[in-house]
Amino acid sequence: MSGFECIATEVLENATIVKFVDQRVMNPARIESLGRELLSLVDATSVTGIVLNFEGVSFFSSAAINKLIKLESESKKNGLQLRLSNLRPEVRDLFSYTNLDSLFQIKDNQIEAIESL
Amino acid sequence: MESTTQHWRYDDHIPSEPDCCATIVGMVLEQLEKNGWGNKDTFGIHMAMEEAVMNAIDHGNNRSPDKTVHLVIEICGDRFYSKITDQGEGFDPAKVPDPTQEENLEKDCGRGVMLIRNFVDIVLYNDKGNSLELTKQNSEAKA
Repeated sequence: MSGFECIATEVLENATIVKFVDQRVMNPARIESLGRELLSLVDATSVTGIVLNFEGVSFFSSAAINKLIKLESESKKNGLQLRLSNLRPEVRDLFSYTNLDSLFQIKDNQIEAIESL
Repeated sequence: MESTTQHWRYDDHIPSEPDCCATIVGMVLEQLEKNGWGNKDTFGIHMAMEEAVMNAIDHGNNRSPDKTVHLVIEICGDRFYSKITDQGEGFDPAKVPDPTQEENLEKDCGRGVMLIRNFVDIVLYNDKGNSLELTKQNSEAKA
């Protein structure tokens, strides 16, 4: 898939794998673009799920988290499963502090994330 | 023991534009690094400042071009302090819904206020609710 500025995507097995272009996901304008790009993946019919691979991401603002919450909601409506993987400890802690690890399924690595779909 | 810290102070008004937040946060991160702060504390300060300044810009000033955010920031080797003041009507942080409750998880608001409190040592709001002070001690600073 091409035409994205904020994410890089590929299809592996039964999943759309998404990686973030920015190490620090905090710029408001970029976050808006990120949100649109992520939601555009929800229409894919050839996969069972989306894996957001956080490798290289050192910062993720609450505004960016809000976009993931929207993605989770839309994915569910379209019968797609969402997984998060490869989170650095401090980013992983963000999801714990906010209790969002009860909303998102978070796996240690991409392989586990794909296998869990 | 030789001191490697340098006291940095910033005191200015910034426009209510999101890009200004990124500039300020960049300066803060640079100064934290110069003063030898570790990754964990730096991440926490980054999170708290990002949320506090963006709240002031978005919710306090509604991104109005007629309003500014007054920032005071002090950084040295063992202490971070910031005072962030917007020109809005203020709010009562005690009335912000708990974003960790199940019924609020999928809602947009409240998470930033909670994260600020989580990542610094002291958070003080003024009575009006349009100004807050953040303080954090360097957890890795030698006594």
